[in-house]
Parts: sequence; C-alpha cells; structure tokens
Amino acid sequence: MVAKAGNRNAGMNFSGSMRSFWKKNGEDILLPLVGIVGFLVIWQFLSMVGLTKLPPPSSLLTDKNTRELLFYPFLDRGGLDKGLFWQTLESLKRVALGYSAAAIVGIGVGILVGTQPKVNKALDPLFQFLRMIAPLAWVPITLIALPNVQTAAIFVIFITAVWPILINTTVGVQQIPQDYKNVARVLQISPRKYFFKILIPSALPYIFTGLRIAIGLAWLAIIAAEIVMSGVVGIGFFIWSAYQNNYVSEVILAVIYIGAVGLLLDRLMAFLQRKILPPDMQG
Amino acid sequence: MTAFVTVDQVDKVFPLPGGNEYIALSGINLEVKQGEFISLIGHSGCGKSTLLNMIAGLDMPTDGIVLLDGQHVKRPGPDKMVVFQNYSLLPWMSVRENIALAVDEVMSGVPRSERDQIVQHHIEMVGLQPHADKPPAMLSGGQKQRVAIARALAIRPKLLLLDEPFGALDALTRGNLQEQLMQICEENHVTSVMVTHDVDEALLLSDRVVMLTNGPGSKIGQVMEVNLPRPRKRLEVVNHPSYYSMRSEIIYFLNQQKRIKQLRARKKSAIARHGLEKINLEIGFVPLTACAPLAVAKEKGFFAHHGLEEVNLVRESSWRGIQDGIAGGYLDAAQMPAGMPVWLTIGGMDNKPLPVVSALTLTRNGNAITLDKNFYNQGIHTLNDLKRMLLETSDRQHTFGMVHPASMHNLLLRYWLAAGGIHPDKDVTLTTIPPAQMIANLKAGNIDGFCVGEPWNVRAAVEEIGYTIATDLEIFPGHPGKVLGVREDWAITYPNTHIALVKALLEACRYCMDEANHEEIREILSRREYLSTDLAYIHLGDPNPLVCDIHPSPKEYAHHLFYGQGVNRPSRTEHLWMMTQMARWGDTPFPRNWVEILERVCRVSVFSIAARELGLSDLTYSRGAIQLFDGVTFNTDDPIAYLNSLEIKHDIYMAEVALDTPLPRAS
Repeated sequence: MVAKAGNRNAGMNFSGSMRSFWKKNGEDILLPLVGIVGFLVIWQFLSMVGLTKLPPPSSLLTDKNTRELLFYPFLDRGGLDKGLFWQTLESLKRVALGYSAAAIVGIGVGILVGTQPKVNKALDPLFQFLRMIAPLAWVPITLIALPNVQTAAIFVIFITAVWPILINTTVGVQQIPQDYKNVARVLQISPRKYFFKILIPSALPYIFTGLRIAIGLAWLAIIAAEIVMSGVVGIGFFIWSAYQNNYVSEVILAVIYIGAVGLLLDRLMAFLQRKILPPDMQG
Repeated sequence: MTAFVTVDQVDKVFPLPGGNEYIALSGINLEVKQGEFISLIGHSGCGKSTLLNMIAGLDMPTDGIVLLDGQHVKRPGPDKMVVFQNYSLLPWMSVRENIALAVDEVMSGVPRSERDQIVQHHIEMVGLQPHADKPPAMLSGGQKQRVAIARALAIRPKLLLLDEPFGALDALTRGNLQEQLMQICEENHVTSVMVTHDVDEALLLSDRVVMLTNGPGSKIGQVMEVNLPRPRKRLEVVNHPSYYSMRSEIIYFLNQQKRIKQLRARKKSAIARHGLEKINLEIGFVPLTACAPLAVAKEKGFFAHHGLEEVNLVRESSWRGIQDGIAGGYLDAAQMPAGMPVWLTIGGMDNKPLPVVSALTLTRNGNAITLDKNFYNQGIHTLNDLKRMLLETSDRQHTFGMVHPASMHNLLLRYWLAAGGIHPDKDVTLTTIPPAQMIANLKAGNIDGFCVGEPWNVRAAVEEIGYTIATDLEIFPGHPGKVLGVREDWAITYPNTHIALVKALLEACRYCMDEANHEEIREILSRREYLSTDLAYIHLGDPNPLVCDIHPSPKEYAHHLFYGQGVNRPSRTEHLWMMTQMARWGDTPFPRNWVEILERVCRVSVFSIAARELGLSDLTYSRGAIQLFDGVTFNTDDPIAYLNSLEIKHDIYMAEVALDTPLPRAS
C-alpha cells in the first residue's frame, strides 16, 4: 500500500517537476533552437533558389559520401582514409601536446616575468612582437627549422597558445594584492611556501583566463596548420583534401565537428576553472 | 624600564612623479611602554597608517629610526604582527588553514600537535568554532576580522599593530569586537598600537591617544593620557566623569586640524588701504551675548566706517579655539576672556610666553554661577548651604564647569568657592567645557554646576535644569568680561589698523549700550552666524521676569556693560588682579617682572588715541581699588603680600617671565 502510494506520488512528482523545469528553462532551450532552425531554413532556401553555390544543409544526408561519414565516424580504412572521429582525435592529440607545452612554458615564464620586474623589462618588447605573428606565418619557418611535419604542427600550436597564458600569468602575479604580500612579509613565509600558498592561488584566476583563451586559439591554429601541412591525419587536412576533391558537404560536416569540439574544449576549461577556484575568486 | 617601542625623529618623504616630494611625516617621536595600548588618531591622509607601517617594518622611514625592544626595525617580522584594515585573509584557505599558515611558519620548532592546539585555542578564543573550516568568503565582516585578530595573536607577537581594524564593521559588531580585543589584550599583556579615526574607540581601548596633525609634514600634535580605570566596559566608560572632556578634547583637536587647513587655504596677504596697514582681518569670537560689540560692528558697518572693509568674524566654539587661533597666527584679533592676554603673555599656554596685548575692554558683567536644579530642591540657596552639602557628601565627587583657565568665570568661580571655604581643586573638581556645551553636560549629569557667560545661565533656568546661585553683582560687580586681544607683534606691525579696530569696536560698544537698540541687537545675535539660538534666551538687560519664579529671592542680574565711564579703558589694576588669581591657583607663576608685563599687556595709549580721535577723550578709568563681596580689598601696590594673605590657595611660585623684545612681524 505504502509503496504504491509512494510510487504514485513519485510519478506525479516527476511529471510535476518536468513541468516546473520546463517553465523555468523553456525559454533558454526554445529560443536558441528557434535561432538555429531559422538559420538552417534560410540557408536551405538560399541554396535551393541558387543564390549560393554552397550545398544546402540537407546535403549532409542526401550526399552519399557525407552520409557515410556522418553515420560512421569510427570507420578506419587505413592510411588517410579514416572516420571523422579519428581525424578529430589526431588533431586533438596535437593540440594536447602543443597546448601542454604552452601551459608549462607560459605559466613558468609568466611567473618569472611577473616576479622579476627587470626580466619583464627585458623580455616584454620581444613578447609583444612575437605574439603579433599569426599562427600561419609560423608554418614555413617551423617546416624549415624542425625535422618533421608532426613536430612542426605541435610547435605552431605551442607558439599560438603560449602568449595569452604567459601574459595573463604575468599580470596575475603582478596583481597579487599588496595585502597578501604584506601578510607573507610579516610572517616571513619561506619562498617555497609563498609560491605554493600565496602566489599560485592568488594568480590562479588570471592563469585560468589565459588558459581558456589559449585553448580556443590552439584549436583555431591546428586547423590552419594542418591545412598547410599535407599528408597528416587530422581534421584540418581532411577539410583541405575534401575541398581539393570538391566534396563541399564533407567540408561542411567537418566544420560542424570543429565548431562542436571548440565549444566542448571551452566548456571543459570553464568547468575546470569552476572546480578548482574557490567561489569568491571567480571573476 | 626603557620604552618598548621607540620612534625617534622619524621623517617620511614620498617621491612624487615629476621629481617633487611629498613630506608625509616629519619629526615623529613616540615611546610605547610594554603592555601599553596606543591609538593613533588623525584625519585621512595624515600619515597615521604610514607611521604604523614603519613601526611594522613594512615601510622604512626616510630619516630617523624605529626601535622595538632595543632592536632597530629594518624589516617586517612576526614579532610585530599587523592586523590589516581589510582583514587580508587568504580566500583559498579555510579559517583554520589561515591561522595555521601563520602558526606553522612562525612556530616551526613546536611539534605538530601542539601547533594544532594553538590554532584551535585561538579559534575558540574568538568564538569561531562553528566556522573553523569555512573559507573566509562565507564569513561576515566581523567574523573575518576576528579571524585576522586570532591569526595575529596566535603567533604571540611582542607588538600588535592594528590598522583601522574595525573601520568596515557595523556599529554593533564593532562594539563587541572592541570589548573582545580589549579583554584579549589585557589577559595576554599585549603591547598594541592601533590606527583609528573613531574617537570613542580610541578612548575605550587606549592608555594613550596620539593625535596627528594634518599633512603635509604631519607631526604629533598632542598626546592624551586616558586614565579611565580598567577593566573598561563600552557602555560604562561614557559615564566616567572625565570621559566627556577627553572626548571633546580629541574632537576639538580634529576639528581644529580641519579649520587650520581651511584657514591656510584662505589665508590672504595683508591688503593695505585708506592709510591702514591691513584692512582684511580675521577676528575670532565665541557665540555669547557678550560678542554683541563684534556682531554690531560688523552688521552696522562700524568696521567699514573706520576703513576695515574686509573683516571676517570667525566663530569659534570654545576659548581654546581663540587661544590656538591667536597663537597660530591665523586670527588677527579676537574677543578674549579678560584674563587671556595676561595668561598667554606669562606662558599659560604650554609654558611658552606669547606676548598678547589688550587695548579695549569690550564688556563687563554678564556672568553667573548656575547649579543643578537638584541642589535647589535640597535647599541649597547660598554659598554656605553649598559648603554644608559638600561636607555632608564628601564621598561624592562634585564637578563644576568653566570655560577656560584664563577666563573670568574660572577666576570668579574659584574666588567664590574659596571665599566660602571650599578649595576649588581639593573639595571639588573643575573642568573646562565650551560655553555652548554647559547645558548639555548639566543635563547629562556630568557636572553639578558651572560658571559661564550669558545666555547659558538664563537658558538653564528657563529649561528648569539649573538655577542661578550667584551673579557677578554678588561677587565682583562690574568685573571685566571680555577684552579685545591681539598679538603684540601684530600690534607693532599694524599700529594704525589696531587703532582703527579699537575705534570701530568702541563705537559698537556705545551702540550696544543704548537701550533703544537692544531689540535690534538681540535679533542680530540670534542669527545663525552668531549665537544661533532662540531670541528668548538673549538678554542685554534684566532677564528677571523669566527666571525669578524659580528662585526664593530674585537674584539681581547684572546688566552687561558695554560702554561708559570706566568700562572700556584697559585697566592695569584688573589685569594685575587676574594675574594674582591665576598664580593663586597654581595655573601660572607670579611673574617677578609683573610691572613690565602689565605695561606690555595693557595698551592704554592705543585706547587713548582711539578715544580721542572719536572725540571721546572724557572716557577715563575712574574705578577705585577692587573690592569683592567678601570684603577683601585688593592692594595693587603689593600683590605678593596680597597673595600671601590669602588662606585658600595653591603653592605660589614666582618666576621671571622672559619676554622677547617686540619686533615687527615680517610680512
């Protein structure tokens, strides 16, 4: 009896909570949907009337090759002929390597520059100069300077991602409130403890901002780098070869992948930031 | 024992962009004893936090040194722990971790378990057990500050430095924390220096309050001992008899700093015109009925008529303000209590003789002694009744208010008490309170009575909180009330201006004496810029119809005398009488060179020239010897014999008062 009644109640509660959930978040879900669908409808219309040569969004399903790619992302026929999942994964691996290097170097040098005003003076112009160079401009130099295409691609990621991390870390360290420094001075805290207990936690919000900007840039850069560096497995080169073969709807599908992965990466960083930073330090 | 903390001749200069310098502090000397609690108080930007930081070693003095326990302070350290204004807790650590960070670092030699115990003990001490593992972001401002205090005390500092620790807290939290801090400091015998801008906080917590003047180049303006008994309770200290006077002393100091800043900004160089050396004058007055001649001279154009076209009357709330204004040189002239010129000249102020001259007596009479209404109900109607009551209640401290040590009120009150066999320092306590605050103090029960100029006696009677027990007719009829005072160097630099000033005021005095003008003068005085009080309290004549119904035998009120034979001409006899009275009560020495002093203070010649130029040369001094109500005649030929003949008095000491040769002021 009791159990039954409980169940019924639970059922009612479930539908009730669904309703209240919908009431609260309905607009947040509905409006973006309306935007996306509207955008797709207009695109479809423009393609069908022939205003643009771009295939309509429906071509993702109507085009045989694309449909195959869409439904079988894990396909692996060896060589460069792999499903989009594997292509993306290869690109992500490169990003992971380049980005990790950028994070280590960026945070390390950033702390050094932030704590040593003289080093800052010496290096700041160089950094400002280097960070203005677009990722693609690095490609020829790296291809000449480095032994193979793999390392060159990773280096391009690194050099793109390192600046926002470095500069934000520098600012974060420079902006450590005088109060915290005074506490450390009064307590005569050892340098090691100061570094881990005060410097890093205090600069962390800035470092995270840098990391979050950098992940977006790194993802942008890998596509650009792969397009230029032919003969590697990766979503960038996939787009390039699809374009060469005039598989335009495949390009569109790859672009959707890129956008989605970029979004996921940014969300991931935001999630980490929320998890790691104490509540009152989240800008 | 020598001082625990010594700040020796410390200067602090900050370089400014553009190569200039800002002198924040100059010549700071301070000694703090072991276990003492010191407050630094001053306006924003006076450098009090800078001074604290230099004691902490967070900042280095440009010149001079700071010693802690004999050691030169060169860098910060845990022995001089700071509680910062904005708590400075690390937000990524819990309350416990914040305290532990300090304890672990400073007491690294102590075993882990003992350190944990210290942390726990201090969390408990500030009552934060329920919050020990929360991050600071989840605490209220007061709780955060408690953590900061716990962190500071946990490492057992020799010296605790607090930088406006309660500035950001609401009143209730602040009060509770103040008491907690006080208790902790007392229990642990912590030596503390606190920066604050809260007068009550400073008084509650401190053994001494150090007041800093305004920058640039701030100095220690005054140091006040707070002798309230410990342990102190926030709600009880305010009832201590000296609390109010200490509080008003600090507030006076702070207000004065603000005023000096304004006056410095306004200070103009002398404008010469119409053959006068300076026609732009700042003249100080205290809002009393007796300021009528100044108000009238300004409002009825007597100043302008005599060429003084830009006179600014500066309203001071106390005689202390007049004294500092004249000493500081930012007042050209002032209405002064009759005794003040002599008092300043013989070094009444900080034992530094400051020659001040008087060439005009502005008013006579207008004072009275008021007692608390309760005494009236106890049947105290005469001086003898009062003495009987004091004898009966010798266990209680009776306090009377007067306005300034050099004022006639002080001298009259003391003379009156002494004539009745009451020693004004041993049998009762006299305290200095600005005239306008007498009523409030009487109402609050801080004082049992006062001697002050009108309108405050009438007002006490009308409001039925006090009654007049004696008027000046019964003590010293026709005594000098207020005089015109200027610095001697001012008088020498601007001789013609001085004469013009005396002329304008003398005419104003004559105007005040004419009863036909009284209604108009009362109206002028009641205005905001003068007394700013109800017309009903202002009487130039006899207020009896208003007050007699509460008195058994209507007291005859003395009319203010503004003008007439023997009223305005400065009198050496009277100044000598006041000089003897001040010496009698040990306030000043009796100068061996009293004849010279009288000659210097009493500028009869200036008065004579002014009177002659006004065609009033028949105004002479026609008073005879001074005889007071007790029948004692004052002998001007031998003041020392007179002093010796008095029964109730202090130990009188004689001294040669060396005065500089008068020189014109460099302009």
